[in-house]
Amino acid sequence: MAYPYRHERETRVLSEGFGDPRARTVAGWREFGGYRGIARALEIGRAETIDEVRRSGLRGRGGAGFPTGLKWSFMPKDARRPHYLLCNADESEPGTFKDREIIRWTPHQLIEGCLVGSYAIGASHCYIYLRGEFFESNQIMARALEEAYREGIVGKDILGSGVDIDITLHVGAGAYICGEETGLMNSLEGRRGEPRIKPPFPAAVGAFGMPTTINNVETLAATAHILRHGGDWYRQWGTDKSPGTKLFCVSGHVNRPGNYELPLGFPLMELIEDICGGMREGRALKAVIPGGSSVPVMSADECRDCSLCYEGVEAAGSMLGCASVIVMDETADIVRQVRRMAQFYAHESCGQCTPCREGTAWATRILRRIEDGRGTEDDLDTLLQISDQMTGTTICVLSDSLAAPVISSIRKFREDYLALVRRGERVGVA
Amino acid sequence: MSETPFRNPGWAGNTGEFELSEADVRGSAFVGRRPPEGVHPSTSASYPFMRVERDPGAKLFDGPWRERFEKMLTRYPTAMAALLPTLNLAQELRGHISPETMDEVAGLLGLSSAYVRGVATFYTMYNKRPVGRYLIQVCTNISCSLCGADEVLAAFLKHVGAELGENSSDGNFTVVEAECLAACGFPTCVQINERYFEDVSAGDVPAILKRLVSELEGE
Ligand SMILES: Cc1cc2nc3c(=O)[nH]c(=O)nc-3n(C[C@H](O)[C@H](O)[C@H](O)COP(=O)(O)O)c2cc1C
Ligand code: SF4
Ligand code: FES
Repeated sequence: MAYPYRHERETRVLSEGFGDPRARTVAGWREFGGYRGIARALEIGRAETIDEVRRSGLRGRGGAGFPTGLKWSFMPKDARRPHYLLCNADESEPGTFKDREIIRWTPHQLIEGCLVGSYAIGASHCYIYLRGEFFESNQIMARALEEAYREGIVGKDILGSGVDIDITLHVGAGAYICGEETGLMNSLEGRRGEPRIKPPFPAAVGAFGMPTTINNVETLAATAHILRHGGDWYRQWGTDKSPGTKLFCVSGHVNRPGNYELPLGFPLMELIEDICGGMREGRALKAVIPGGSSVPVMSADECRDCSLCYEGVEAAGSMLGCASVIVMDETADIVRQVRRMAQFYAHESCGQCTPCREGTAWATRILRRIEDGRGTEDDLDTLLQISDQMTGTTICVLSDSLAAPVISSIRKFREDYLALVRRGERVGVA
Repeated sequence: MSETPFRNPGWAGNTGEFELSEADVRGSAFVGRRPPEGVHPSTSASYPFMRVERDPGAKLFDGPWRERFEKMLTRYPTAMAALLPTLNLAQELRGHISPETMDEVAGLLGLSSAYVRGVATFYTMYNKRPVGRYLIQVCTNISCSLCGADEVLAAFLKHVGAELGENSSDGNFTVVEAECLAACGFPTCVQINERYFEDVSAGDVPAILKRLVSELEGE
């Protein structure tokens, strides 16, 4: 049984087993070549495993794009104290829906990635922090993990190597901030998911006070393939600074939204026009948010020559984030959407930092006032001022994450705001 | 497929060209029922806790539930780390987390009541008061809202006949707004207890509610 809806231009590494329920079993996953990556890692040793990932140039897929091999190398070399690997499966950045697909179609791909990561950093216990809402993924993952334990792939003496690695499926309870790495650590420890001040960094003092590494689901899944085929193999795709393939989550006003796996550096307009079948009802493109709701909005003009790699999106004035491409056509009401984002961040702010706690709430109130036609031009300046104070002043970047869309939308879609504050006219309907 | 409003194949948009069955996509054929005592300690903390049947007076924890609770404790270096899993388990059993439940959980783990209340109220998935047999959570975040989530929410409220966040008079439904559910390519995404319904439009709402009621009657 195959997914009938794929695009021929996709490069399927991570997504090869998507749509095939057989990939949910150990035997099925082995048919896809599974568990050869961890076998090779165990063969070449810990240091060489990190080197292989470093050679691949893989960058973290959770949003920040930090080089994974480098992150792993920060962990102490001798495991005198327990080390932990935390797999970040909290996927809750608006616009992002890739980790869920990896987990529910190819749970063994993630287990293999967790084993590779744990082995590389000398961890004997890995926690998969799964977002609480993912019941189906949770059940599928649980079943797969139990089978992996039965088969001797996880637990004591994995694959007969003498190495012990436990994996525990841990489920959250609904809080976006637990996706932030130190918030996740606190939440795992049974605390409120409030981010911690850094330093100390997790590689020195992390979960339960021990050296810890946190990686996204997609990052870990990719390392399984990198170990199987080698770091140079992974570099055949993507650009020098952004090697490899990436799952692009496309949502909004396109004909065929969905997850598409493409080499990094793929042109944004081809993603929209070709892969996603163009804009709905042939309407004109108005704006794109290329990396999940936390990054600056791009105008249609900025999209034209943008290529989807970390440096390409940055050059176009935004950030690739987790490659969650939210597409808006000419009927989109930018002010309303920015207000909805503000509402989200106000709801999810953990409340530790004043600029974030107060700023997200003020921004929501002001945006709502503007949306209702009760705003003034001065409100736009106030919003910019608040956003400015929300940037770079807080423990984590949730605060900056609202400032980015607010500032960029006022700069790039000022006319939409002015139509409301001057004439009480809405631009767009959605 | 016409009976069920569930169309999403879990890949691309709703083009009506899929061969996958709902069971394939949901993995329900693969997953099956799971015993309350859990299977392996590694996964004991991770089962659904939004069952239709619940018992607000159930003991924390008895019989198989006790077994699962004890399995969970073996997976963490501290008892505190078992707090969220324990609250999850309590909610799975009782349907919501009352202040008394928080106190009991505090006792079980040797934590102070104030601490547990502080943590439990931080997380949105703990129902602080009883909810309907079906908790309907409509995502109205950006990708869904661009594609008509507000109309879907309005349709649910209308057909259920209750205010946002209030329980319907028959106790069957509670409709709330949700933040992004990580199914943004398939708007509007609606989570009903442990199930996702994707590609939902306002017109699909009566059929979904009918299906839920018939599932209740089938129990
Ligand atoms: C507010 C906030 C929310 C985040 N949510 C997630 C998330 O849901 N999933 C994720 O993988 N990373 C999330 N991150 C990024 C993580 O902090 C971290 O950078 C990432 O998990 C590291 O993994 P990587 O190096 O493999 O990308 C979030 C960051 C912030 C500031
Ligand atoms: S920036 Fe916001 S979410 Fe992050 S720690 Fe501060 S208050 Fe909490
Ligand atoms: S925005 Fe609705 S599921 Fe993500």
